[in-house]
Amino acid sequence: MNKNLSKVIIQIFLISFVFLALGPILWAVVTSFLPLSSLTAKPIDLDPTKFTLTNYVEVLDTSRGLMSGLINSMIIATFTSAVALTVGSAAAYALARLSLPGSNAILLSILATQMFPGIVIAIPLFIVMSRLGMIDTHLGLMFVYLSFVLPIVIWILKGFFESIPIQLEKAAAIDGATNTQTFRYIILPISLPPLFATGVFAFIESWNEFFFAIILTRINVKTAPIAISEFAGQYRTLYGQMLASAVLASLPVVILAIIFRRFILEGFVEGAVKS
Amino acid sequence: MATLKLVNVSKRFGEVTACSNIDLTVNEGEFITLLGPSGCGKTTLLNVVAGLEEVSEGEIWIEDRMVNDLSPYDRNLAMVFQNYALYPHMTVAENIGFSMRLRKRPKAEIAERVNQVANTLELEKLLDRLPRELSGGQQQRVAIGRAVIREPAIFLFDEPFSNLDAALRVRMRVEIKELHQRLGTTSVFVTHDQEEALSLSDRIAVMQFGRIKQFGTPEQVYSLPASKYVARFIGSPQLDIFEGEFESTDGQLYYRIGNQRFQMPDITQLPDESPDLGVRPEHILLGSEGVPARVHLVQPIGPFTYVTVNWEGGSATARVSGVSQLRPRDTVNLSFDTTGLLFFDRQSSMRVELS
Repeated sequence: MNKNLSKVIIQIFLISFVFLALGPILWAVVTSFLPLSSLTAKPIDLDPTKFTLTNYVEVLDTSRGLMSGLINSMIIATFTSAVALTVGSAAAYALARLSLPGSNAILLSILATQMFPGIVIAIPLFIVMSRLGMIDTHLGLMFVYLSFVLPIVIWILKGFFESIPIQLEKAAAIDGATNTQTFRYIILPISLPPLFATGVFAFIESWNEFFFAIILTRINVKTAPIAISEFAGQYRTLYGQMLASAVLASLPVVILAIIFRRFILEGFVEGAVKS
Repeated sequence: MATLKLVNVSKRFGEVTACSNIDLTVNEGEFITLLGPSGCGKTTLLNVVAGLEEVSEGEIWIEDRMVNDLSPYDRNLAMVFQNYALYPHMTVAENIGFSMRLRKRPKAEIAERVNQVANTLELEKLLDRLPRELSGGQQQRVAIGRAVIREPAIFLFDEPFSNLDAALRVRMRVEIKELHQRLGTTSVFVTHDQEEALSLSDRIAVMQFGRIKQFGTPEQVYSLPASKYVARFIGSPQLDIFEGEFESTDGQLYYRIGNQRFQMPDITQLPDESPDLGVRPEHILLGSEGVPARVHLVQPIGPFTYVTVNWEGGSATARVSGVSQLRPRDTVNLSFDTTGLLFFDRQSSMRVELS
């Protein structure tokens, strides 16, 4: 009886937690299908017969900036995560496996760059970027995103590479594998899950970033979060359209998470060695 | 099959010397063991032989080739690791066949060889499993299979049983011994378990502080240990080593330990300083003859019972056949089987022959 009771309590707790987490998302989705008149009515009018796709049609109109925002975000987030993974995995592997002189100092200084709040470096960064002529360019924003995504990627992957038993590489050497073959056949396949996971992480970080995007872009390279924010005007806010944009902007991340869920959850290294 | 010869091999890591001046010859088809406590350099030496570590000094010869500068693969040897080091994302079949896949052998040939090897190791039903779906003993057999398929000149085993439970360890020992009898491949086995070393090896190299202290047959290292260190390391329970003195009364030689003295055989050339005396449990006799002692501890282990006795100033553990009727605080008489006495120089700890 007691056991059942505690089960029920745990379930109630979990269900309320899920509602707490999903509530805002659910609200956003519902709102995105309602006309502005329903939203501004008091009390709010949730009549399902008034559900409409107008908000979506409106925001997908190219003149509204969301489409170009999504495209910009896609370009920047894709390249940022690709570069972060390529450079980051090489750096992490080197830091984990090679006995580099001063590798501890390197690691600490990589970490140190993460200790400043964005606001502190915003003005210097703006000055540097404008002198370099990189304000409102894809490349400029990518560099900035890399500067905070890359260190985290390096730290995460370094931890992972260190967890790969060195005996696997030795066993491969005994089996006659060259360094490249060891990487290609052994290290890379077992690294895919963490690579995907960190890749998704880097993508989401760059996709959602708002603060630097609003400082460093003007017209051409406005990202999706900026485009969404622009639905809130000085005199009125187009809630329906804003949340329709938010729903659209969330889709790529949700799809990514669904596709790579298996890889993210799976522990591939299990069973490699016995200790 | 091949001979393996190490000539004055040393391995240093910066300031630390892991192995120094190792000379070792392993004959064709021989099974030798590097035996020693952890940190004695035995695994480092194995890695040096394998080519996983570069040698700092000296030469390694396999057959008539100096292999110092050859890659592990080109040395034509295979290694079984302590923690098996199976490729976690590959099935059993892929693990075993990986070396052939690297050499771009045709798929059919790989499959055939993998099946052959799997049959000899009773892995044929597990070929499609991943390592994580196997038990410890099965994982170990896959690791052995990966070595066997290469048909190498030399097998290297790095403490392959240390992660297995006691029963499985004994079974795998049998399997390795059978495998060696069948294939006759020159093998070097690293372990810290003296029983494993004694039961498997043609010869044992006992190591300490990066040096080989004695290299001989199991019989030699057990019965004629070169030093106190070797004598203590081999044999379980350990032999007793006494720091006593020779005494002579009416032409009869005795060895005094505490307040008792034990009869010794005739020794004509006595050294100036009395040596230490080592006696293994099977050479300590309990019965009606000898000096009186009191039973302290009785440990039956099935075929034998180990009985520890005390007297003033001394204590010894004897091996008694079968189940002993002795109980703690009983009084027994104690003597030494004079054929099994080992004398060690008190200064150098090396064994000395007295006659």
